[in-house]
Amino acid sequence: MSEKKEVLHVGIDLGTSRSSISASNGQRHVIESYVGWPLDMVAKRVLKKPVLIGREALENRSMLDLHRPLEEGLIKDGSEKDEAAVRELLRHLLGLVGVDPDNRNGMPVRAVVGVPAEALRVNKQQVRKALQNAVDNLLIVSEPFAVAYGIEALLHTMIIDSGAGTTDFCVMNGRLPTEEDQRTLPQAGDFIDEALMRLIRGRYPEAKFSIHMVREWKEAGSFVGPPKNPVVVTAPVNGKPTQLDISQEMRQACESILPPMVESMLDLLSRVQPEFQEKVRNNIVLSGGTGLIRGLGPRLEAELQVVGGGKVRVVKDPIFVGSDGGLAIAIDAPDSDWERLSA
Amino acid sequence: MANVDRVKRQLLRDLVQENVDLVEGRLPRTLRKGRYWPLAVRLLAVAVLSVALLGSSRLIALWLIPQQTEPPHAATARSPRVPAKVAAVSLPETPLLTSAPQPVDAAVFPLAVHTVVIDAGHGGGSTGTRTPQGTLEKDLTLDIAQRLQRLLVQQSFQVVMTRDADRDVSLKERGALANRIGADIFVSIHLNWIENRRSGGLETYYMGPTDDPYLTRLAASENRESGYSLADMRRLLDRIYAGVRQEKSRKLAETVQGALFQSLGKLSPEIQSRGVKTAPFIVLLTTDMPAILAEVSSLSNEEEARLLTKPLYRQYIAEALAKGIRAYAGGAEETTPEAVAAARNTAARKESR
Repeated sequence: MSEKKEVLHVGIDLGTSRSSISASNGQRHVIESYVGWPLDMVAKRVLKKPVLIGREALENRSMLDLHRPLEEGLIKDGSEKDEAAVRELLRHLLGLVGVDPDNRNGMPVRAVVGVPAEALRVNKQQVRKALQNAVDNLLIVSEPFAVAYGIEALLHTMIIDSGAGTTDFCVMNGRLPTEEDQRTLPQAGDFIDEALMRLIRGRYPEAKFSIHMVREWKEAGSFVGPPKNPVVVTAPVNGKPTQLDISQEMRQACESILPPMVESMLDLLSRVQPEFQEKVRNNIVLSGGTGLIRGLGPRLEAELQVVGGGKVRVVKDPIFVGSDGGLAIAIDAPDSDWERLSA
Repeated sequence: MANVDRVKRQLLRDLVQENVDLVEGRLPRTLRKGRYWPLAVRLLAVAVLSVALLGSSRLIALWLIPQQTEPPHAATARSPRVPAKVAAVSLPETPLLTSAPQPVDAAVFPLAVHTVVIDAGHGGGSTGTRTPQGTLEKDLTLDIAQRLQRLLVQQSFQVVMTRDADRDVSLKERGALANRIGADIFVSIHLNWIENRRSGGLETYYMGPTDDPYLTRLAASENRESGYSLADMRRLLDRIYAGVRQEKSRKLAETVQGALFQSLGKLSPEIQSRGVKTAPFIVLLTTDMPAILAEVSSLSNEEEARLLTKPLYRQYIAEALAKGIRAYAGGAEETTPEAVAAARNTAARKESR
């Protein structure tokens, strides 16, 4: 184990909405997956930076060519700007844990990067390309697998990892999941945001708001089932800040992902070997930002009644569970394996 | 590693191997044919082997036991099929392998088709069509082909891919591969590009001539770099058009087109069936078995191009193709006659516009 101390291990969860990094030096960071370049010379002088990342990029978006490069958790195909944005995002994350991607004379870095379960091989290659020369060794894993590894749920477990771009399902049965053990749905946080935006526009056509505001409203008040408290937000109507009750719209938007989620969950369960179905039903783990929607776990449990009931638990730390899992993989992988995976 | 348990060690080994495969451009081991066979498939294999051995012993018995020589007409008569000496060894009464040929119901052999060649269109320097955003046909066809491969292997088909990575494979090689391994059917996967970008949809081709200028252009485009001369083409055409293979290809094309339209129509109600058509694509002409070329969606259509970027949509396409192949192989009408009729009607409506 002594030689491991000379290496920095990192786990990265590359998400549509947020990306997180966990490193073996104890540092953990999360950023919003936004990258922006100043639009012109004036913006460059004001911002004093060639590129802005995360919340800083979002807050200065009026002066930026803003990119959220990961659509449905994947690098948008064929867009050089988005490929560059992913490269900036990854390098920024590495910088946050003390790695200088431009000066690789320091400690060797071994990185595990999580991508959606059904990522195209071409996208995995793009991630590999984006990290070329920035780390020494690179391992790409499916996000739900990284989650399962991190919480040691490797046998008779179903992971439902619902982020912004995708909802990934993965049944863990003690071996590396194949595509038959996994599903990816495009219905996740972004899908809810768009539905919520449409619904609020329909009810309050005079109100002015952006998708970023809608996203923040959802993160503060999302729920399924009966509302606990009314969801009231503030937006300008004819220039005047006005309080809007969006409880009904919030519920409807959040519940719009339930039919495909339930269908995929039950379908995947039905494909588990019969003797293990009950174990898997009682060991369903919900992770990811969208997994934090209030009432989602109990609602999925209620839906499981039709096949004899089950248990759904929400992971304790959904923001870092993917990157922590990646870090655990990075640390556990033997040196001999890492040597086969030069970045 | 001392505190890492056995399951974790195995998982990490497999994970690393999968990544090494990715780096080296190989299909991951978890997805390769013959790996991770489910228990049911293994049991089926044992059962099939047992039946095969039993069948062999019967054949041996038939060869070893002298049989009555009967006049030629007796072979077609409705006399008892089992000769007395064979009956004496008390085998169950089943039709003999040596009895007169009779029409066989395809439903008796649900997997009469054993080997399927899946051809992911384009690859390497041949990118195929592309969207303005840069999505390439060659990447999507490979992804759909790999999904289809997994589905068919699960269903106990033998599957051979003309390519399982982003590499150049000539049209000649694709057909030659299928012929060399004695494939039962050949399925080529492509994506359409239609000049009128508002229209889109699905169409399936089987070999045959065409007088449609659009299809002539399309075939010429797809056949580019085939390496065949005009004289070669004529020979290929002469060899094929009269054959029974064309009829089987038509049936396969209709079944697959019906399954595609039935399945994708649920996801995208706007999707059109452009029907089953004939065209002289090289990959269809050079193969010796029933062969089709399916244009499984259109990259020129904005909505279909958007859907094609979604893994779920590509999975639906693969499942529809598998369903069509299974229906053809089993002779079973898993694709309902209504679906085939609907696909035809939509195509007819489109053509009448």
